[in-house]
Amino acid sequence: MIVKEFRELVRDRRTLGLLIMMPLLLLVIFGYAANFYVSSIETAVVGPEASHAAAALPPLFNVTVTQPSGTKADAETLLQGNKADVAFVTGQTPVLALVNGSNLFAAQSAVAALNKEGGKVDTQVLYNPGLKTSWVMVPAIIGLILTFIGTIITSIGMVREREAGTLEQLAVMPIKPSRVILGKIAPYFLVASIDMIIVTVLGIVLFGVPFNGNPFAFALGAAIFLFVTLGLGVFISTISQTAGQAIQTAFFFLLPQILLSGMIFPLEAMAAGVRWIGYLLPLTYFTMISQGIMLRGAPISSLWLPFGVLTVMAVVVFTGATLRFRRDLAPGRPASPARKEPAAGETVSTA
Amino acid sequence: MTAVQLRARQATRRFGAFTAVDDVSMQVRPGEVVGLLGANGAGKTTLIRMLLGLIAVTSGSIELLGGPPDRQRRRRLGYVPQGLGLYGDLTVRENLSFSAHAYGAAEPALPPALTGRAGVLVRELPLGAQRQVAFLAALAHSPEVLVLDEPTSGVDVLASAALWDTIRAQAERGAGVLVTTHYMQEAQQCDRLLLMSNGQLVAQGSEADIIGSTTAVAVRTGDWAQAFAALSAAGAPVMLAGRAIRVPNANPAQLQQVLDAAGIQASLQPVPATIEERMLVLARATNGL
Amino acid sequence: MFAVRAATVRFGHTLALDDVTVEVPGGSVVAVVGGDGAGKSTLLRALAGEVPLDSGTIEAPPKQRLGYLPASSGSWAALTVTQNIDFVAGIYGLAGEELCARRAELLDRASLTAAAGRLAAQLSGGMRRKLGFIMAVVHRPALLILDEPSTGIDPVSRIDLWRLVSEAAASGAAVLMSTTYLDEAERAAHLVVLDGGKVLVQGPYDEVRAGFAGVVTQTGEPVRPEWAWRRGRVQHEYWPGAGPPPGATAVAPDLEDIVIALSLARRNAVLS
Repeated sequence: MIVKEFRELVRDRRTLGLLIMMPLLLLVIFGYAANFYVSSIETAVVGPEASHAAAALPPLFNVTVTQPSGTKADAETLLQGNKADVAFVTGQTPVLALVNGSNLFAAQSAVAALNKEGGKVDTQVLYNPGLKTSWVMVPAIIGLILTFIGTIITSIGMVREREAGTLEQLAVMPIKPSRVILGKIAPYFLVASIDMIIVTVLGIVLFGVPFNGNPFAFALGAAIFLFVTLGLGVFISTISQTAGQAIQTAFFFLLPQILLSGMIFPLEAMAAGVRWIGYLLPLTYFTMISQGIMLRGAPISSLWLPFGVLTVMAVVVFTGATLRFRRDLAPGRPASPARKEPAAGETVSTA
Repeated sequence: MTAVQLRARQATRRFGAFTAVDDVSMQVRPGEVVGLLGANGAGKTTLIRMLLGLIAVTSGSIELLGGPPDRQRRRRLGYVPQGLGLYGDLTVRENLSFSAHAYGAAEPALPPALTGRAGVLVRELPLGAQRQVAFLAALAHSPEVLVLDEPTSGVDVLASAALWDTIRAQAERGAGVLVTTHYMQEAQQCDRLLLMSNGQLVAQGSEADIIGSTTAVAVRTGDWAQAFAALSAAGAPVMLAGRAIRVPNANPAQLQQVLDAAGIQASLQPVPATIEERMLVLARATNGL
Repeated sequence: MFAVRAATVRFGHTLALDDVTVEVPGGSVVAVVGGDGAGKSTLLRALAGEVPLDSGTIEAPPKQRLGYLPASSGSWAALTVTQNIDFVAGIYGLAGEELCARRAELLDRASLTAAAGRLAAQLSGGMRRKLGFIMAVVHRPALLILDEPSTGIDPVSRIDLWRLVSEAAASGAAVLMSTTYLDEAERAAHLVVLDGGKVLVQGPYDEVRAGFAGVVTQTGEPVRPEWAWRRGRVQHEYWPGAGPPPGATAVAPDLEDIVIALSLARRNAVLS
């Protein structure tokens, strides 16, 4: 019995992959990525005393922007665009420190450090004044739900046809592959959208999470992101023979996103060697969009990077998945010159 | 070797209000091949599961090799279910090794047809070869009783003949074999038949016993396709044996009327029915026809 | 007339079809028999356009005029009988009054009217196959391709299916079906025997029988085991050319004898 199970396990490459890769992945993540302490805070300094103040700041504050001509409004714009975690506005006493509350751990580090300065600095936390975890988590969870439905649920739905043997029939019927995909994805798109709305509303109602930005921009970002995850779902279904395999593979795509997208552990706190993985994950970019719009009311222009990356991902993933699926549905049909049709007026059946 | 290897005595099995097996008494003796016939839902599978000891009787008794069908006695039994019971993701050799070890027997040698394929994954073999492997696995421990569920379903004639060779050889060795089948050609290969319908044992014995007093009308005509269509349209339970048209349980005069009305020349003759026709008549009776 | 001409299909190293030509005229049933790996499924799928040819040509109607019943269940388990039919009919462009009438007609012919509201998963094997058949003919296809429609089905449903198939052919469809049941092949207008991807023999049953060369004898102990097979309690042995030894009992070969004899001839020739 033991020998048999081992033999079957060795043949089951996906489970094997999971068994071996997962512990390694977790070890790497918890070793290098799991870190709540942000050791370097992106800082901007504006105002007449800018350079002076910049020099005086402790090394914790990494000054990347110095604008002597800048005002409080400029500082706020910088924060809204997520260009800095803290912006100091000099030129008055006490110096005004604006902290970006949507980067929770950086903000916490900053506030702790600033409180030591006592009366010299007036600290204001923007976007998340209470520094509440829920305010930062809810926008990320919205993305997680979309990922979950998009990859796992969609892939199962598509694999069901293959398992039941009905994919063959669809292939022979006069229905275009693109319509099959659209027909299969549409219900999940709808369900995911409804789910997303429910979670957003609940987040606002239960936790008081604000929604400061443009809902249409948010919807657009969510739609693009959904296309990425749905495309992944279709792709997974083309490389899986059973629902079990589909779930395993989807899980493979899901787990890194939970841990490395900045949802739980901040990206800035990760070792550089691991952080780049985070920048490959779609959820990372959607979280930037959802946090930006909900907490900071950020305009689309400041979010061009995540929007752009997600759009490219959507196009690439969706096209690739569709091409693969097409191959399953119509193996040699378009290119096959061997297929002739008999002359018109041939046998007409009235069966 | 016990005198009777498989026995059911007034065995009944109920699932709530539904009686799947109703007061069935039967036996399988060493060296004989018994065929169990019946439509889907007749109770064949439930009876087999009771004989194997997989489910309990509601009343009556079951004997496997002289006693209740417990794990000890099942060691001397070979069973090939409809699903074959093989591991698709293991090779032929690995499957045989596993079942041999499970029964405490030596690993069987491969017949010439399979020697080249010992290392092939079972799910990549054609169905005929898979059935061969399933047989080998069930026979490795020289069982005294063999239970085979639809052993040649979906298999071509050549491979089917080979499988029946194996079954016969086992019977000659002294094993008692119980086979379920839907295919009448196969029923004719058995020594004795049991016919179930609606949970009851409706007939048993030779082919003549199974057919009982059911008769059919053989329709001899040049235009069999037309005749078939005409009789079918009239609602008669038309059967086909190759190209010969037969109508079980029918009134020759009525059939003649239908054929005359359709302008078809045919001669009608009453003949004893076939097993299939008996089953069709039973099925129609169950459906209230 | 639809056809597969000089078709060759390779899957990796295996030759699934080797220069196979089969014609399927309208209004008749062509039955393909053969063992596993003989190429039956591949031939049917090639005609349906699912498997590309390595060489040869296909003459088949566009998808709109094609009906296909695959070897698998052929219906969606989680939908009811009616929903299954409606879904497929919709793809082929049937709707409204026309759809309702057609559906009622087909359900009646297949004796499935009582089960119309049942989930496909709850149907018996035979009923599910009949449902699959209905779905393949709902749009009155010019070419109907059925992959082992009656395998593993109870004898009563088998007869029903045969009736449905012959009715479809009678109204003009060209039907190509594969089967392991030789009695069905006997009834077809034209039968094709495949073995190892090649056509062993094809034609109407009477011609196949008449054209069969060699003698089949019945014996208790076969002289040449590699040319013998079991039939019931006895063995049959095939003598292709030279003729059996004197005193041997010859039998009139039926289709089963012919198929097995020709298969053995091919395999023994390959081995020698």
